Amino acid sequence: MSIAAELPDKQAELKLATVISDDYLKAGALAEIPQGEFGDKVRLGYQLFVNTQQLRGQYVGNELNCSNCHMDAGRKANASPLWAAYLAYPAYRKKNDKVNSYQERIQGCFTYSMNGKAPESGSKELVALSAYSYWLVMSGLMDKYKVTGDVPELSDAELVKGGKRDDFILPGAIASAMTIDERAKLAGRGFPAIPKPELAYSPERGAEVYTAHCQACHGDNGQGLAIAGVYSLPPLWGPDSFNWGAGMHRVNTAANFIYENMPFGKSIQLTNQQAWDVAAFVVSHERPQDPRYKGDIDALQKQYHQHQGYYGKSVDGGMVLGSKAYPINPSK
Amino acid sequence: MSMPVFSESMVMPPAAQLCGSCHGPTGQGVEPLGPRLAGLSAEYISQQIKLFQTGLRQNTTMAPMSMTLQGDAINQVAQYFASQEVAEVTPHLRGESVDYADPTAQLVYQGDWERLIPACVTCHGPSALGGGQFPRLAGQQASYIKTQLLAWQAGTRKGDVDAMMGTIANKLTAEEIDALAKYFADIK
Repeated sequence: MSIAAELPDKQAELKLATVISDDYLKAGALAEIPQGEFGDKVRLGYQLFVNTQQLRGQYVGNELNCSNCHMDAGRKANASPLWAAYLAYPAYRKKNDKVNSYQERIQGCFTYSMNGKAPESGSKELVALSAYSYWLVMSGLMDKYKVTGDVPELSDAELVKGGKRDDFILPGAIASAMTIDERAKLAGRGFPAIPKPELAYSPERGAEVYTAHCQACHGDNGQGLAIAGVYSLPPLWGPDSFNWGAGMHRVNTAANFIYENMPFGKSIQLTNQQAWDVAAFVVSHERPQDPRYKGDIDALQKQYHQHQGYYGKSVDGGMVLGSKAYPINPSK
Repeated sequence: MSMPVFSESMVMPPAAQLCGSCHGPTGQGVEPLGPRLAGLSAEYISQQIKLFQTGLRQNTTMAPMSMTLQGDAINQVAQYFASQEVAEVTPHLRGESVDYADPTAQLVYQGDWERLIPACVTCHGPSALGGGQFPRLAGQQASYIKTQLLAWQAGTRKGDVDAMMGTIANKLTAEEIDALAKYFADIK
């Protein structure tokens, strides 16, 4: 029996998303982004983040925007905030078995979550997204530790590295408040892990949760809703959603995200079990192919999908998932 | 120069005659008798007729009026008004502005996440043009938008999935409701 399976159900003790902790870092207001060349990069980062579709056909191959998964334009705690992510890189990632800089991490998002083609290292898009992330965390830290003045400007080469390094430039009051490792684990980072469900997660039960709580926004077939050509309510599966390599296709990642952030705006709270079941339902549908696919679903499944997911598996006697996968980085 | 192209207009179904007296024959709205129906989705209009019929939306005029529509007439009326022309709006996309001097515009395009209020445009679409079960707010009468937000707060308007809209409306202040109503009405 695994350790995880022995964990008691602590659901009732979990902090509800409606409770705002004072511990979470609060990034500066967008209106405070300075004028000038550096501020322009930060602003471009925000613009790309909330309207990633402006890169459709170039670096983006689906109908998603970064802000679909990162609530409040990457500012909200427990929705993978950019401010926490920035200080967590460079870091080793098992996914590609190497130390990833911040821009390499974002390149991963373009390749998988956005089902696209990553911008070149050092490109203005990656610099801008890095600058926006950096500005969010530094403005928040400076406010918290009462450091006055403007956020220190960094060169493009510095920006794309990320902030988890000895030579990262920090005002003294902040540097002395936390170690590098503590900074890399700011409260509210990522999506908080929820306990394993009481019953093994089930797409069948999840279908009922979906119909009751998700379909209104995401559509009867996970297709999302476009208004004036813009999908602010994102597709969850099918050709226009994230691909089989994206983190969100894992049942646990989706469950964690859903529990904390859905239904949108938190008018109700799903139970732990509902979150796992509906996550299983969502990720047990066909989506664009894993970009690492080399013609053998079984081999890919063994190499990259030894986790809680449905790639290479058949649900309810249906097709093996991955065998009818949609194209990678299609033009619109 | 190109001429505007109008789709072949639908003939008003007999069942819509009565609606036209308060909402205008092409559903453009008659303030303060009836809000604009033109430009709302057929899905939304049908849904609302049914909510009036079941009492989840309470309105002394619409309660009996909605009962005059039964069976296929609901869909006919919804299709008719949904197909009526409204002024074209060039949608304002998120990210076009980074910071908004007007706090109401900021609420509309960025929300207020400290109060867990998402941007209005997330569900209502760019420039609140509406679609699916989310009504178009652009160009709607300010007085109507205000009474609806107050109705959500009072609980006399219900029927939204998981009390989505009710929850958000309950977080809005009286001043914000006034300002939002005017903001949306002014999107032309």
